[in-house]
Parts: sequence; structure tokens; C-alpha cells
Amino acid sequence: MLQYDILIVGAGGAGLYAALETSKRKGLKVAVISKVFPTRSHTGAAQGGVNAALGNVAPDSPEKHAYDTVKGSDFLADQDAVELMCEMAPKIIREMEHMGLPFSRLENGKIAQRPFGGASFPRTCYSADKTGHVMLQTLYEQCIKNNVTFLNEWFALSLVHNGERIAGVVALDLRTGEIHGMRAKAVILATGGHARIYWKRTSNALGNTGDGPAMALRAGVPLKDMEFVQFHPTGLRRTGILVTEGARGEGGYLINKDGERFMKRYAPEKMELAPRDLVSRAIETEIMEGRGFKDSEGNEFVYLDLRHLGKKKILERLPQIRELAIDFEGVDPIEEPIPIRPTAHYSMGGIDTDIYGRTIIKGLYAAGECGCVSVHGANRLGGNSLLDIVVFGKLAGEDAANFVAENSFIPFDESEVRKEEEKIKALFDNDGKERLVDLRNELSDVMTYGAGIFREEKKMKEALEKVREIKERAKHIKVYDKDMTFNTNLQQTLEFLNMVEVAETIVLGALERKESRGAHSRTDYPKRDDENFLKHSIIERTPDGDLKISWKPVKITKFQPEERKY
Amino acid sequence: MESRKVIFRIKRFNPKKDERPYYKEYEIDVPKGMTILEALQYIKDNIDPTLAFRAFCRSAICGSCSVKINGYPKLACKTQVFNELDVYNTNILTIEPIDNMEVIRDLIVDWDSAIQKMEKMRPYLIPDPEVVPETLDEECKVYPHELKKFDKFTDCILCTTCYSACGIVRVDSNYGGPFPLARVYRFAVDPRDSLKKERAKIGFSFDMWNCVRCNKCADVCPKHIAPVDGIMKLRGLSIEIGLRNNPGARHVMAFYKSLQESGMLNEVLLPLRTKGIKGVLENLSIGIKMILKGKAHSPIMKPIKEHETLKEVMKRAMEVE
Ligand SMILES: Cc1cc2nc3c(=O)[nH]c(=O)nc-3n(C[C@H](O)[C@H](O)[C@H](O)COP(=O)(O)OP(=O)(O)OC[C@H]3O[C@@H](n4cnc5c(N)ncnc54)[C@H](O)[C@@H]3O)c2cc1C
Ligand code: SF4
Ligand code: SF4
Ligand code: FES
Repeated sequence: MLQYDILIVGAGGAGLYAALETSKRKGLKVAVISKVFPTRSHTGAAQGGVNAALGNVAPDSPEKHAYDTVKGSDFLADQDAVELMCEMAPKIIREMEHMGLPFSRLENGKIAQRPFGGASFPRTCYSADKTGHVMLQTLYEQCIKNNVTFLNEWFALSLVHNGERIAGVVALDLRTGEIHGMRAKAVILATGGHARIYWKRTSNALGNTGDGPAMALRAGVPLKDMEFVQFHPTGLRRTGILVTEGARGEGGYLINKDGERFMKRYAPEKMELAPRDLVSRAIETEIMEGRGFKDSEGNEFVYLDLRHLGKKKILERLPQIRELAIDFEGVDPIEEPIPIRPTAHYSMGGIDTDIYGRTIIKGLYAAGECGCVSVHGANRLGGNSLLDIVVFGKLAGEDAANFVAENSFIPFDESEVRKEEEKIKALFDNDGKERLVDLRNELSDVMTYGAGIFREEKKMKEALEKVREIKERAKHIKVYDKDMTFNTNLQQTLEFLNMVEVAETIVLGALERKESRGAHSRTDYPKRDDENFLKHSIIERTPDGDLKISWKPVKITKFQPEERKY
Repeated sequence: MESRKVIFRIKRFNPKKDERPYYKEYEIDVPKGMTILEALQYIKDNIDPTLAFRAFCRSAICGSCSVKINGYPKLACKTQVFNELDVYNTNILTIEPIDNMEVIRDLIVDWDSAIQKMEKMRPYLIPDPEVVPETLDEECKVYPHELKKFDKFTDCILCTTCYSACGIVRVDSNYGGPFPLARVYRFAVDPRDSLKKERAKIGFSFDMWNCVRCNKCADVCPKHIAPVDGIMKLRGLSIEIGLRNNPGARHVMAFYKSLQESGMLNEVLLPLRTKGIKGVLENLSIGIKMILKGKAHSPIMKPIKEHETLKEVMKRAMEVE
């Protein structure tokens, strides 16, 4: 059996920072497994930037950063975690800068910063429109320098523990198809977000399927605040790929079927520049009330029209967006409007951890988008996620390194490996009455309409039923590809099974949270209700397979809840 | 909405099972707007679940999905089916794995060798203690014009498309290849790096002088990076640090001298200066054949009229560099 002191699952920003931190300790045997080559992780897709109160452009402070974050979270974030993150931000940004990260610069040579939604100062450090990409590359480079061991294209299947301590992980080597027991004193889950559950309408990578939370759930580890899923207003119609805010910033119009600039009904003053959640809700309302378009594939959408800006301005100011529209929609925005619709973007909820990434199982950690510390509460501010992943990746790495120094291995029950082998065998032997593609699309629709931008008791109850039904039907999905060399048919099926599992927690959390807060918007309870719901939802799977929901108080230090007005 | 019937002719191969690669055809209806990647996924979902290919971000930023489309390496996710049909004026698209790497299965290739080569080339910043502050209380100063020198090369998504297209990679197993060498250059001009120009030695030991400047790497790069530019600049740095005693560097120096002297390339003197008498004698028969077939100039050249101006231009260019 493979054996490591620390095993890190996931090689995005969170996993790589954890790996870097542990690689500084001498004598530790650490390995990182990832289902894709490290630099392919989804962190690379982040464009906007990363927040830190450097004060390079305007006077700023970690405290102001913390306040903006707490306010943005609609007061659901744990304030001790937020303060820690904002305090660490300037140092960790400089640390990455010292590693070679090519931040955009001011004339005086310092790191440039730009304004971002929800922040009271230009606080977002960036590298043109490729911040996540260069962050990922830089961390990967440093990991090479420190001789970190990578097992690329390995798929983690399950966690092994004895109820108290972690024993390791069972994983599938995608290239050979072999299933391995991987023993470790500590395991750090850094598997990223799960917005792929909204399959047909998400900005996320194909593999953001919630594998980490699903594994945790199966292992009896609780998930926190799963009902909070952030939608971004402008995703491309067919793919959900993100059209950044810049398009509206430069003066793009949103247009419905009647050729009307409908934002005038929702935000007459700010129009298209109203906050993300408001614009998302406006677009959805238009579509729901029959003023959207529908194409032959059944996609519903409205238009983002840039034509009035003129060719010159589009070429000068929005060349990336133009390239995107041409490459991914076959539409040149100089001549045609861009079909768009809000797209599932970010998972605020995740595996319940404390500020060091610790879970209820000793030696098991979670960091990054798969975890919930929580610093984003009900709504994440742009630029805070890239910060979250490096800060808490680092802290989890440090704590895990301390943990393994004081603890020895516990026995690894090898029957856990055989259990996974049998599960996979069963997938080959199924009757095939259901098709992966159909169930995946159905899950996407159920989630989009039942637990999407607007939520309401009756629809959510139906959605919960349907998710459970899909879960039952999924028992018939057959993996037709029998060859174990790079079996992507198997991989996609396993990912789908994880998504259904996580989907159920989202709907259940949303159903039980009878208020509107941040990204969670209930038509039947339109107001925030601090009296009853200023608390985190906690969902775990009981040994008999049912989901159990409980609540946990929000940590409030400095900032008393106030109405969130913009 | 507009849709077209398209035949995808896909190269299939499972080295564990198949004796040799073969092509399999799939006909599907493609709506306007569909990318090659979506078409592949459609085929996998609806016709043949055994088709194997890689993809992740589907937005041209992760570098997973490079394949050959009608012989040309591209990112599947960034390529519109209709566009390809129009360009090749056909309804058949041939999809194959990229070159210069072994096939693991179908369109999935083993890029480990390319990446391992890069990893050996120390593709990471080694901080210069003179520039990088010791504590995290302050950042290094990097001015916009300094950043500009290497910024473009940090766009690289390691898709290995350029590597697959490079002919020298194919014939010289020690050759570093376009994206790895470009990355070496990226660090060589980062003011924070302690090796700086010395990094040219790494390029040198990975045969950077063997690049023939065919520009293929620049043509195929989906991020519009020209790795060859990085390689040329890395060569420049190697000459600057005095790393001249090799055919490549001598060739460049000879090239320069020849232009200085006559305003023309003396293709006979050039090899002499590059390789020495012995080298020239070895290649003499080829040279004579080339002259006879009209593919090379006669060794006797007259200076051209604009020679003086050219000399001036070259002098200025050298100053700017
Ligand atoms: C389009 C887009 C733009 C964004 N822009 C910004 C921005 O401007 N600023 C900002 O702060 N945030 C932004 N975000 C959010 C931010 O990018 C992500 O939250 C963050 O990158 C997540 O990092 P991570 O390390 O947690 O996970 P990821 O980078 O997603 O990495 C997950 C890793 O886990 C691995 N993995 C997953 N499952 C398994 C398994 N079963 N077995 C083995 N390995 C597994 C994957 O292979 C991968 O290596 C954006 C997000 C999107 C989608
Ligand atoms: S220019 Fe050089 S590196 Fe680029 S493809 Fe040609 S030989 Fe290879
Ligand atoms: S240089 Fe361009 S083609 Fe080559 S690996 Fe990088 S992004 Fe791909
Ligand atoms: S899928 Fe990421 S580059 Fe194509």
C-alpha cells in the first residue's frame, strides 16, 4: 500500500499552497493527487483578481477589508475567520509576489490594485485578466522547486477512517485503472467547488463535481451552508462560460424579446450596473414571465447587446469578450448581440471546518472552495475566493504538518479498497436502463428550477423528491466502456454520482432556511430573518443513510448585523 | 436554428488492445455555435461512451483538450465546428491526437515527457536576495516596462500544442522544445530572479540553438504566444554572457558580420565562420550541389548599394537591444 505522512487531494490553489507549506518541513513524505494535471485545475479560470488591503492605490486596512467581507456575506460569515484572512492577506500576496507571481504593476513598481464589486477601496490585486492562471502556475513552479510529489490523473474515491482518526484514501489511477489504498496520517481535501451540479448552466469546469463534499458526506463528516450557491448574471447561453462584468461596465445593454432594456423595471437608476444578484434575478424574471428567447436546443436566454458601442470601442476595450463570444457562441458582438443567462458560479458552502481547516475527524482537513470556514457566508465578494484558497490552504498545511509530527499511523482497513472495487464492478454490470446524459441533464434542470436563483417551498419539495428519484434511477446507469485504461466513461459516472449526493444537501438546506439572505432568495420568505436564521446550517448523513440537518451559531466579533443596503 | 450534418472521423487507438490505430466515423447534427469539444462529448454521451479524450475548463484556459483537427493542432474547446467546415469546405472533420507524444488512448496523449523536460530546466523563480526583500512587509519593485519583457510568456497554459508541432522536438530528443525554453527565458528576464542571464546556459544545454525558427510554435499557439521569440531572445542572452563557442552562436555572429561587411548574407563564408574549415569541407559536396542546382549563391559577392544604410540600421538595432 502507498504510504504518506500527508496526502493532499486536489492541486488547485488550495492544494498547492498546502503542499508548499508542508514541503518546507524536512523529512515529511507528502503527496498531492489530482484528477487533472495541477495547472489544469479550475483556479486557472479566475480572471478578476485577489483581494488584499495593501493600500497601494488608496489608504486601506485589513479591518476595512473584513468589514466589507462580513457585510457582503450578509452577516453569515464567521468573523474570526474573516479577520484572520484579511489580516494575512497582504503578507500572503507579497509571499506569492516574492515567488515570482507576475502581478500587474503601478508606475512606481508596486502591485497594482483595482476596484471590485462590494469593496469600498481598490483592493483587488490582479494580473491583467489572468490572475488565477498565473497564481496556479506560480504555485506549481514552486512545488517543482521543492520537489513535491504529484500523482496526476488520480481520482479519489473515498475516505477511510475509524470514526475518530483518518487512515487514508482509496483512489483510482485513471491511466491504469488500478485502485489503490493510500495510507496517510493526515489528509487535506482541496477538491474545489461543485457548481457543475447545475450542469447546463454553470461557469465551472467539467470536473467541479463536488467529489470532496460527497466523500466527506459518505464518511459521516458534516457539510455547512450548502444552500448558498452564487449565480453570475452573464453566462453564455449554450455553455454558461462567463462574460465578465466588463461588458456591462463599458455600457452593454440587456435586452428582452420585445427589444426592451428591461433593467429599467428593476433598477431604474443603476440599470445594468446593479449588483450581481439583483441583475441575475431580473434576467430570470424576464425569462419566467415569457419575455426571454428560446432556441432550438431549448436554451432560454436574453441578449447582452454591445453593438451600439461600435466596432472601435469593442475592439479596443473588450477584445477578450469578443474572442470569447466568437469562439464559444459563434457570435461576433460587433454584428450580433450575445445570448446570455445567469450561470451557477461559486459554492459558498462546503465541508464544515474550523479556521485551521480541521474537520470532526482528526487528521482530516478541508481547504479551498470544497471547504466552508466560513468567510463568504451567504454571498462571496469577487476576489475573496482566490484569497480564501491560499490563506486556508496554507493554514491547513501548517496544521497538518504539526499534527503528523505528533501522531503515528492508524491501521488502514483494506476491505475499504475492495468495497470501492465492487462498487465499480457493479457500475459495469448494471442493466443500463438509464443513461448518464439524461440523468445529468435532468439533475441540472431540477436544480436550476427548484433550487436556483429563486426558491419557494412547493418547488423545492418537488425538487427534493426528484433529486431522490434521480438518485434511485442512477442505480441503473451502466458504464459501457469496460477498458480500464483512462476510462472517462467511468470517471464521468462517478462524478455524476457525487453530484447527486451533494445536490440533495443543497435542496434540503434551502428548504429549511426560511428566509432570504445573500444568494439564497426565497419568494415565500423575502426578508432576512436574523432572529431565526443568523446561523449556519449543518447537514450530515446518518449511518442509516438519511440526511440530518442541524444549526450552528455564527461567530460575531466586531461587526453587529445591520441591514445590507447598497 | 441552423444546423448541419457533420461526419467526425476520429482516430482511435488503445495500445493495450489494438494492434494499430484506426479511424471511426460518427455522423451527428451540429447546431450553430457548437465547439469541437462539445461535439466530442455529444458523441461520447449519445453514440459511443468508449471514446476517450481530455477536457476540463472548456474555456481555453486549462490546456487539456489539444487535438489535431484536419491535421492542425488546436484546442477542441476553442474551435467552432462551423468555422472548420467553412475553412476546409467540407462536412468531414478528422480528429486525431497531437504529435510528438505517445498515445495513451484515442485522443489522450502522454505529455509527461514534455513536462519532465521542462521540470529539469528549473522553471521557477530563484529569488535574488539583492532584489527580493527578506520579510513579507514589502513587495519587490517591478516596473511595468520590466514586466512587459516577460509578461506575454506567462500566458502559457502548458497545452503542449507548440511542442507537438515542432519538428526539432521530433528529431532531437534532447531539444527542450518551444514552451519549456520560452519559460526559461521568462525567468531570465524577471528582475527578481537570481540566475538571470545565466539561465541561457540551461537553454544552451537543451539544444536551443537547434531551433530552426520555422515559426510553427507561434502559428499554433492558442494563446498567441510566440515561444520562438523567447528562444531567440534567450540565444541573445547566451551571446551576451559570452556563451559563443558553439555552432549556433557562431552562426549568429557570422550572420551579423556578413551583413556588416557586405550587406548580404554570404552563404559560403557563413558555414566557414560557423563550423570552421573542417566543417565546411564536410559539407562541401552538398554546397556545390546546391550551387549547381541554383539553390545557393555563388561565393563571390559584390557589396550592395544600400550597404552603408544597413550598417547604420544594424548599429542602432544593436543599441536598442
Ligand atoms: C470563471 C470563474 C472565475 C472566477 N474568478 C474569480 C476571481 O476573479 N477572483 C476570485 O477570488 N475567485 C474567482 N473565482 C473562484 C475561484 O477561482 C475558485 O473558488 C478557486 O479557484 C477554487 O480553488 P480550489 O483550490 O479550492 O479548487 P480548484 O482550483 O477547483 O482545484 C480543485 C482540485 O481538486 C482536484 N480534484 C477534484 N476532485 C478530485 C478527486 N475526486 N480526486 C482527485 N482530485 C480531485 C482537481 O483535479 C483540482 O486539482 C472564479 C471562478 C470561476 C469559475
Ligand atoms: S520555431 Fe523553433 S521551437 Fe518553434 S516550432 Fe520551429 S523549431 Fe520548434
Ligand atoms: S506556448 Fe502556447 S502552444 Fe505552447 S504550451 Fe504554451 S500556450 Fe500551449
Ligand atoms: S478544456 Fe481547457 S483548454 Fe480546452
